[in-house]
Amino acid sequence: MDFTLTTPPIPLSGRKILVVDDDRLNLRIIGGILRSEGYQLAEGDSGERALEIYETFKPDLVLLDVMMPGIDGFETCRRLIKIHGAGCAPVIFITAKNESDDVVEGLGAGGVDYLPKPFKPKEVLARIRSHLQNRALVEQQKLLVHQLSEANAQKNKVLGMAAHDLRNPLASIRGLTEFLRDGAVGPLNADQTDLVETIHSASQSMLELVNELLDVAVIEAGELKLHLESEDLAGLIGKSVAVTNMEAAKKKTRVNFAPSGVVPKRQLDSAKMRQVIDNLLSNAIKYSPPGSTINVTLSADPAAATCTFAVQDQGPGIPEGERDRLFKDFSRLSAQPTGGEKSTGLGLAICRKIVDAHHGTIVAENLPGGGCEFRVVLPASA
Amino acid sequence: MNFTGTILLVDDEPHIRKYVGLILRQLGAPRILEAGNGEEALATFEREKPDLVLLDVNMPIMDGMETLKRLKAIDPDCVVVMLTSLTNRQNVESALTLGAANYIRKDTPKEEITKALTETIDACFDSE
Repeated sequence: MDFTLTTPPIPLSGRKILVVDDDRLNLRIIGGILRSEGYQLAEGDSGERALEIYETFKPDLVLLDVMMPGIDGFETCRRLIKIHGAGCAPVIFITAKNESDDVVEGLGAGGVDYLPKPFKPKEVLARIRSHLQNRALVEQQKLLVHQLSEANAQKNKVLGMAAHDLRNPLASIRGLTEFLRDGAVGPLNADQTDLVETIHSASQSMLELVNELLDVAVIEAGELKLHLESEDLAGLIGKSVAVTNMEAAKKKTRVNFAPSGVVPKRQLDSAKMRQVIDNLLSNAIKYSPPGSTINVTLSADPAAATCTFAVQDQGPGIPEGERDRLFKDFSRLSAQPTGGEKSTGLGLAICRKIVDAHHGTIVAENLPGGGCEFRVVLPASA
Repeated sequence: MNFTGTILLVDDEPHIRKYVGLILRQLGAPRILEAGNGEEALATFEREKPDLVLLDVNMPIMDGMETLKRLKAIDPDCVVVMLTSLTNRQNVESALTLGAANYIRKDTPKEEITKALTETIDACFDSE
C-alpha cells in the first residue's frame, strides 16, 4: 500500500487560454504574445461565441474584452459563472472601458482581474501567470484532499481489521484469567493471584482500547448505523450503574442513580446508548478520587418532549481552555485518572458521535462545588 | 442451573473453545464435544446427536450460516446458539430466521455469556 502523497509540479506552458475580442487585430496581437509563452489558444469574436467555445475547449483562463456586439464581456462572464459555478476558469477583463465604475462592475460580475487597453504585454503575461498559478494550486489542493481522504479510508480499514482480529483472542485471555483468578481450576496463592490480576487488568484495558479503535474506524468510515427500538432509558442506565458499581467498589466509589418521575420509552439504539452511559460512568469513576460519590440523574421534559440524563463526578473538573478539546478524537486533557486507569482519549469522541446520530446533544460543565457534570439531552424524535 | 446434556462447541479458534468450554462446564456437568469448522460439526452432530450446538459464524471450510442451514435440514428441532464476535445485526437476524435459538457475543464478560446460555437452556430444555 502506498500512502505517499504526490504533489506534481505546476507547469504553466500548455495551459489553455480562451481569448475573446471583436477586434481581429487585437486577437492577433494578444494571440501572438500568448503563443510565444507556450500557451494553447482558442479565439472568439463575441460573447456568444465565447460561451460555445468554452464548452469544447475547456480553458484554464479566459481573457475577455468588454465592449462587443451582442452580449458584452460582463454578461458573458456572468453566464460563464452561472453555468460552470465554482469550477469556472478565472476571467480577466482586458478593455479600454477603464472608469473605476467599470472595474467595479467587472469584478462584481465575477472577473478575477481587470487590465486596461492599451495593454503592456509584460503586465498581461504576469497577471495571467499569477491567475493560472492560483488555479493550479486550487486543483492541487483538491487532489491532495482527495488523496488524504483515500489514505484515511485505508487507515480505517487497516485499523478495523487489526482491531477485529485482536478482539477475540483478548476476550479469551481476559475470560481465562477470570477462571484462574476465581479459583475455578484450583486455589492460587497470593503471589499467583497478584500475577493473574495483572494479566486480567492488562487484557481488560487492551480490550477496551481495541474496542474503541474499532468504534472509531467504523464511525469514520461512515458506518455508524443506529438500530432504533423503543427503549426504557431508566432501565438501560440502571443496568449500567449496577455493573459499574462493581468496578467502582474497588475505588470505594459509589454510583447513585435517581430517576425523577416517569421517563417514557423512546426510540434508541440501546447498545450504542449503553456505550455512552458506560463511558460517562467509567470516566466519572476514573477521574474522581477514591471514596467519591457519582450521581446519575434522569428526567423528562414533557413540554419539550426531551429527556436528559446527567453524570456528576467529584473530579478536578475541566480546565478552562481545554473544554473545546473534550469531545475530539485522541484528545486527552491534563486531568489524570486517580487510580492509574488507562485512557485512550477516544471515549468521549465516540460518545459525541453516538449522541449526534441520535440528534441529541452532549455537554460538560464544571459544578460550582467542584467536579463536573456531563449531560446528554435527547430530543423527542430520537 | 444444572445442565447435563451433550453440547457441541464449534469454533475455529482453539482459545475460544477453551474459554467457552470452561464456562459450559460451570453450568453443570455437560458432556462437551468440539469441532473446528462446519464440516466437522456436521459429522459430529450426526454421530453424537448433541442436545445443544454452539456455533461460530466466521469459520474456514464451512461457515456458521451454512452449517446452521444443514443442521436444521438434518434435525429441524436441534437447538443452536450462534457465537458472534461483533454484533453484526444482519448475520444475527438471518441466523434467528434460519432457526437459531439465540446468539452470544464472544467478547462479552463471562457473566454475560453464562447468563445468555442459562436463559437459552431454561427456555429450550424446561424439564431438565
